[in-house]
Parts: sequence; structure tokens; C-alpha cells
Amino acid sequence: MTAPTGAGGTRTALRRNFRRGVWRVLRRKPSRLLGVLILAGFAFMGTVGPLLYPERLPRDDDALYAPPSWEHPFGTDFEGTDVLALVVTGSRYVLLTALVTAVITVVLGTAIGLFAGFRRGRWDTVLMRITDMKLTIPGLPLLLVLSTVWKFESALEMGLVLGLLGWGGVARAVRAQTLSLRERGFIEAARGLGLSTGHIVGRELLPSMAPFIAMNMLIAVTGAVYAQVGLFFLGVLPFEASNWGVMLNLSVFGGGALTSTAALPYMMAPLLAVLLLTLGIVLVVDAMDEIFNPRLREE
Amino acid sequence: MPETPPATPDGRAPGVRISGLSVVYRTPAGELPAVSGVDLELPPGTITGVVGESGSGKSTLALSLLNAVQPPGRISAGSVEIDGLGDVVALRGEELRRARGRHVGYVFQAAQNSLNPLKTVGKQLLDLGRSHGVRDLRALVREARELLGRMGLDGARVLDSCQHELSGGMRQRVGIMFALVLNAHLVVLDEPTTALDMITQATILRIVREVHAERGLTTLVITHDLGVVAEVADRLAVMYGGRVVEQGPTRDVLADPRHPYTRGLLRAVPRLTGDIGEARALPGRPPTLGTIPADGCVFRERCPLRMDACETGRPPAVAYGARSVSCHAAAENRAGPEDGGPGTAAGDRDGEDGAEARGGEEVAAGAREEQA
Amino acid sequence: MITGQGITKTFRQRGAVLGGREVRALRGVDFAVGKGGAVSFIGESGCGKTTLGRIVAGLESHDSGEIAIDGVPMSSLRPRARRPYFRRIQLIHQDPYSALNPTRTIHQALAAPLALRARQTGRPGSWIDERAGELLGLVGLDPGYVLPRYPHQLSGGMRQRVVIARALTVDPEMLVADEAVSMIDVSLRLGILALLRDLRERLGVSVLFITHDVATARYLGDDGELYVIYRGRVVERGPVEAVVSGPVHPYTQSLLSAIPVLHGLEEPGAQRVVPTEPLDEGGPDAGCLFARRCPFATGRCTAEVPVLGAAGGFPQEHACFHPERRSVVAAPAGRA
Repeated sequence: MTAPTGAGGTRTALRRNFRRGVWRVLRRKPSRLLGVLILAGFAFMGTVGPLLYPERLPRDDDALYAPPSWEHPFGTDFEGTDVLALVVTGSRYVLLTALVTAVITVVLGTAIGLFAGFRRGRWDTVLMRITDMKLTIPGLPLLLVLSTVWKFESALEMGLVLGLLGWGGVARAVRAQTLSLRERGFIEAARGLGLSTGHIVGRELLPSMAPFIAMNMLIAVTGAVYAQVGLFFLGVLPFEASNWGVMLNLSVFGGGALTSTAALPYMMAPLLAVLLLTLGIVLVVDAMDEIFNPRLREE
Repeated sequence: MPETPPATPDGRAPGVRISGLSVVYRTPAGELPAVSGVDLELPPGTITGVVGESGSGKSTLALSLLNAVQPPGRISAGSVEIDGLGDVVALRGEELRRARGRHVGYVFQAAQNSLNPLKTVGKQLLDLGRSHGVRDLRALVREARELLGRMGLDGARVLDSCQHELSGGMRQRVGIMFALVLNAHLVVLDEPTTALDMITQATILRIVREVHAERGLTTLVITHDLGVVAEVADRLAVMYGGRVVEQGPTRDVLADPRHPYTRGLLRAVPRLTGDIGEARALPGRPPTLGTIPADGCVFRERCPLRMDACETGRPPAVAYGARSVSCHAAAENRAGPEDGGPGTAAGDRDGEDGAEARGGEEVAAGAREEQA
Repeated sequence: MITGQGITKTFRQRGAVLGGREVRALRGVDFAVGKGGAVSFIGESGCGKTTLGRIVAGLESHDSGEIAIDGVPMSSLRPRARRPYFRRIQLIHQDPYSALNPTRTIHQALAAPLALRARQTGRPGSWIDERAGELLGLVGLDPGYVLPRYPHQLSGGMRQRVVIARALTVDPEMLVADEAVSMIDVSLRLGILALLRDLRERLGVSVLFITHDVATARYLGDDGELYVIYRGRVVERGPVEAVVSGPVHPYTQSLLSAIPVLHGLEEPGAQRVVPTEPLDEGGPDAGCLFARRCPFATGRCTAEVPVLGAAGGFPQEHACFHPERRSVVAAPAGRA
């Protein structure tokens, strides 16, 4: 074990140990590595993928609803555009929305939950009443109403709306965790030592909840993907954006994918993408507990 | 009191012979021994106390008596012969289940919290009776009520109570009742008084002693507290690092401990009278599953009498009359020219004084060694 | 110097359907701990000793009475102004496992309060690491080994030493040790007690020791004082040796009678006091609270409240109408 040479030295050593620990945890089960690989693939697809294709995807009028081939692994759509290209170019909106939603859900939920749980008393009562009221608002109908006035052309807008609808559960759960953690000896000791509230919340409470928060974040990503793909599929949102949900809608209602085989690959491709993303997240969530718990990390 | 083994009224108290018992736990670092090569005899009708710190393997040993070591642990060698039951290690499935409760009563560690919080004690008693195929449940309840009454509780009221309505001492007595109600004559008590007050502890220990004598039991008490063993046990076995390092009649062992660990442990317990300055901390710290030395003596890291033989050779159990000690230094001492035999203490005295002198030096370094 | 006068505390169980049940944890307790002194509170669980410790450490409020730190009555200060006073009183928890944050290294655990200290006193940042090493050395740990480690990598005894080192970061005047060794392996307990004794001598830190094990209280120093608490009231108080060797209150006597005797090494005391009934916190409040369980109680005991005082010419104070010395403590056996 390295002896600490100073605050800076220890900190870099800690960071290095953490990275090594994460690698160790991931290596423990091949499934986790697979999950990371899948998520990395999607990240690549969302960031770089769209750049690989021209602004307007080429159409091939001779190959409408073409079956899978080497040229078109998932066939083509009603206009003869490559389905794989559609999935890749459509991923950016979906993934960006999901990311924004997850960040808003977790940041808002954690902040409100922590504050309510740590302050208790009046603040707690007020914040939890608001949370409860928010939880009773049915999300889907609200989205339907909103979509009549708002076009959700940007992924950020979509993510913002979904995020604002989703933080309630996280806030409740984080509050419950905070309430139980604040009775622990080390929090009491920190208060007795006169450490600031900022330190106690940021350095003592938050790290203890890290696995929980990380899990919620990943799960929020899948929730956001389902929600928006669902909305586009139902057709309540405009079709302008290139999007997995739009593809699903067109394949089912336009191509009759449920009754004929021609449009089947067109429907399967975005569906597969959603399933693969979910699988990747589920496999990675499994490692969160071990990554953030020093004991399990080092074993 | 502890000196004279109580008479066994109907001679039903079984004897237990544990020989060569080893229990290993599977870990990522391979199979590690929690108990290794333990030989221990519980004579019929006696109370035996097993003393050890955390990681000494005492609780694992107790579980072996029921062949109830849970995976990733398993009994890797040895046998546990119980009179009227045979080798428990060989028992499987239904036989084993019936033996637990019928032959061996077990009062679990933290028995205070081992009751079902949603059911009354009486309901749990009936569950127990049914799962053991008791025909006459009325008689079972009567027996339970009598036992509780014997332990100074209002039996009918307790049977109608849920866990939260009972105090810690009452729950402990309920635990003892459950262990005895199926008429088991071998009883294992794991840490029977941990988390209880001094006064409640004294009451429970008195009850254990009385019930033991009245019902003609063979009792095994597992504890970390030498005081508990001193109060109830006829015989005492000291465990360290998965091995029994010293055993014998309680009074003899306490009056003249021969293993350096027993000595150190006794000296590390502050007493109410006498020179408090005599109390000395034991240097170092107890080994954990992963740090138990594979060969040689398990105690050598903390031992003031450490010598070359301790590094490699596992100290054999050497008998001194009714006692046995596993220590190279004690064995050498005994073989010394002045020693007339186990009874005379001249040789041992020398050893002890030597230990004291060297022990003093070690104390200063003790805290630091704890981290080695 | 930390004093308490007439401290009372009643816990009300909230949410009970049929009116809240009240538990009177403390019924007017006076105490005083001088600089570098050692005071031990003993009693059964539920006697109020833990509550008193938490009140002294500023972690719990009390209903009435006054705590004064260096002569400053705390009730005269606003809550914010009290904090620096109570910071000089540090609680050592019973459980060294929950007292350290499992996600933070020992270095982090010590550096946070030290950084605060450095800021307050205008010391440079380099002082933090230096001081952390110094404190760990003081509690008998090797800084090079301990600092980069997480709590789970240390034994219970080492963890409790770290907890003590952390309490020392704020240069406290008093440590409140609540059953500080009860969860530690038997062979390591004495080391922690010796450390507390050592800190008294070397740093002049006073120790408020809360335990149900009288013998460990003895180890903190022969100048120590013992407070025996029963149901929120002090029933006997005096120098440790005087109370242990000649207890006069039947409750103290029954506590000492209950301590196991190491037969062979010790001979049991000539007398033995056993309470006639088990503890019942909801018992009647009139007269002496112990009267119902006391084998020596008379009519006066149930009618009148005995006051803690020095009646009878004993070296200790007691609250009993019929004080009598009884030899209930085991004595070392004559070695043959």
C-alpha cells in the first residue's frame, strides 16, 4: 500500500484505486463487460453515428420494403431508405432525450429528497406534500395535452418535460434513505465535530447513496426511452423528427408490419435497439452496488 | 456449583464426542478453515463452556453440533458423535431435521430477536409442534407453560404475547423454552447473555444452571465472556483461531491457566478488586478467517513465549490430568527437570513469571502490533 | 469543568393510539466533571445513562435543568452560540462500525475536521496531514498503514482508536464514551481503556464513561468518580474504589452482586443482593424508585423520596434510608 505523501497525492492514489476497483468489479462477471460494451456502442451511435450519413438519407425507389441483405442489414422502408441508417440517425434524439430526462430526474429528485430528509420538520412536510401532489399527476394524459400545444422538436425540450414529470419517486426514495442514514453514528459524529451541512450532505450522505442514485439514473434512462418512443409510436407527436418511435409507427400503421412480413424488419430494427439498450442498462446496473461500496469493490 | 457435575436423574443426558472436526468456508481466496481439527468431549450431564473472540470459530463449532453449517461453509472432516443419535455429520435431510429440536435444542445468538414479530409465542410453539409431528399439542402447551413458570414467567401470559411485548430477558427465556420443550437433552446456548444487563444476565445464568440440573441435560454454552463460563460451566474450552487451545475443569483452568492465550485473556479482563494495574492488554489482534496461519501455532503472533517450534509445528494437545493444553512452550515447561507432574505448580510458576516479565514489554508495542 | 444541575428528560411516544406513553429518562440529575477527571455512569439499560451522555454531548435536548461549560450556562446562549462549547465535548459511539463512514478513507475522515480547524486557527494546509499522522500516533496506530485504508479494512479495536483520534481533531475537553468497548473483542478492550486513561494523563482530557460494566470503570483511573443511576435518578455517588469496595445502596449492591465470579481465581463476596422483582420502567413513581425491587425496603421507602446525601458517615453519597455496607464483591482467591 502506498504511503500518503500529501493531500494531493492521496487523492490521485484514491482516484487510481477507484478506477482499478471499477475495472475489477466489471471483470468479475462477463455480463457486466457486455453491458458496458453495449452502452458504449449506443453512446458512439448517438454522438458519431449521424455524422456518418448524409443530411438527407438516400432513397432507392426500386427497393421499397426490401428484405434484409448485405447492403441493407435491416432492409429498407417505404421510401427505400436503409433502415439501419434510420435507426442510427434517429438514435441521437432518443438518447439525448433520455440523458436529459435522467439527469433532471436524478438531480431534482436527489436534491429535494436530501433537503427534505436532512432538514426534516416544516421543510420536509411542505416538500413531501408537493412531491405527493406531483406523483398523483398522470404523466401520459398530461403529455398528450402538452403535445397539442408544443411540438417537442428539440430533444432538450422533450427531456425537460419528461424529467419534470419523473423526479417524484426518486425524491421519496432519497428522502427515506436520508432519514435512515442521518441517524447513523458517522453523520452524528460529523455534526458533533462542527462540519458544515454542505460537507455532511455532499461528502458523507451522498457517497453512501451513490449506488442507489446511479441505479435510479440508469433506470430513468430506460423509462425515458420507453416514454418518448411510446409517444411517437402513438403518433401524438409530429413526425418531423427522425426517431425510433416514428419508425415503429410508420412500420405498423403505414407498412402493416403486424399483418405482412414485408415491413417486419423495418419494425424490428428500432424495437431491437430499444431492447438492446435496456439489456445493456440492466447488465450495468448489476455492478453499481459493488462499484460504489469500497468493501465490495476491493473484496 | 460448577465443581460437582449434577446428577442426571434419568440418565438421559447424552454424551457428545467431537473428534477431528474441521469446517471450511469457501471464499475467493480458496477454502479457509474456520474450525480445524477440534477434539472436544461433552461428558453426559455437564455444562461445557466454549470461550473465544470473534473469528475463533466458536459459533461455527456450535452449528456443527446440529450439522447446520450453512454454505459457503461445510464440514470438511471429523465427526460429532451424540449418544442415541450417532454421527451427526453423516445425517441428512429428514433425519437431521427431526434430530434438531428432538435431540438437540439450540438457543440462537441474539435469541432476543429470533422470534417471529407477527405471531404470538403460543402460535409459534404450535408451529414447532406440528412441524415435529407432535400428536398431543395440548401437552406441548402445558409443558411450555410449566417451563416458563419454572423460569419465573407467567406462562399463559407469555404464550399470548408477541415479541415486542417481552423484555430482552424474557425473550431469552422464551428461547430456552423453545430449545427444551421438545424434550431435547442436549442444549446449545450461543451467547445466551449478550446485550443483556448484568442483573438480567445473572438471572438467566442461574436459570440455565437450575434447568440443566433439574432436567438432566448436557449443555454447551458458547460465549466471548469468561465471566459467563465461570458462572455456569463445569468444563471450559478456550478457542482461538479455529482451534481449542486449552480445555479442562473450569475452576482449574481459571485458577492456573497454562496456555499463554488463556493467561493473557484472563489478565486482560479488569476485575472489581485487587490491583487494577495488574490488568494488561493482550498485544496484537485476533486473526480473521483470512489471516489464520496455516501451519504452526495460531497464537504465535501475539504470544510472549513464542519460540522456533511455534513457526512450523502445530502444537499437539498435551494432557495434564483432566486438562489438555496445546502449546509448545507449556509442553516444554512440563518436561523440565523440576516439574514433578501436572499437580505441582513449580515449573508452571516459572513459566508464568517469565510470561509476565516479557508481557510487560510487549504491552507498549501492543497497540501498534494490532495493525500488523 | 462541565456541570449539570437538575437535568430532566421525558420521552413521549408519539403516534400511540391511546394517548402517548411517557418515559421519564432523567429525573433531576446533578453532575460535575473537572478538567482531566474521569466520571463513570453505571446502571441497567434504560436507566437514562445514555440519554444523559447524549445531552452532555449536545446531541439531545433536555427538558429542564442547566448544563454549564466552564461556568457558562448553556441556556443563556442561542443555539448557534452553544455549538463551539459543545464541540469541546465529543461522543465516542458504542459501535465503531457505524461511527465511521464506510465510503470514506481514514485520511478523509480525519482531514475534514482538521481542515475546519486549520481554517479557524489560520494554519497552513500542510498542517492537516501532519496533525492527522500525529493523532493516529497518539492513539497507537501507524499512520502510514491506517490513513489510506477504508474502515472495513480495520479491526474493531483499530476503528475505535480511529474514532477517538477523530474526536481529538477538535482538541476536546471531554470525551463521552458510551459503552465504548462493549462491541470490541475481549482481548482488545483493555487497550482502548488504557488509551482513554493515557489521554487523560497526557492531554488532560476528561472522560465521561457510560457503562454497565463497573470493573471497566475502575480501569480509567483511581481518582475516578462513580455515579450509579437508577430510572433516571442518581442513587449513589462517590470515588470508584469507595463505591466498589463498600457499596451502601441496595441497587448498587445488586448490580455488583450480579457480576460473574471467576471461580478458581476469585472467591464470591460474603453477601449477595438480588432484586426481588425484575425491572419495570412503568412502576409507581412515589418514594424510592427501587423500593419495589428492594429486599430491604420499609414503609418509609415507598412513602418518602430519599435525597442524595452523605448521611451515615460513608465516603460516598447515597440516596437510601437504610444505607448499609455489604460485601458483595468477589475477592481474589488466596493462591495456594
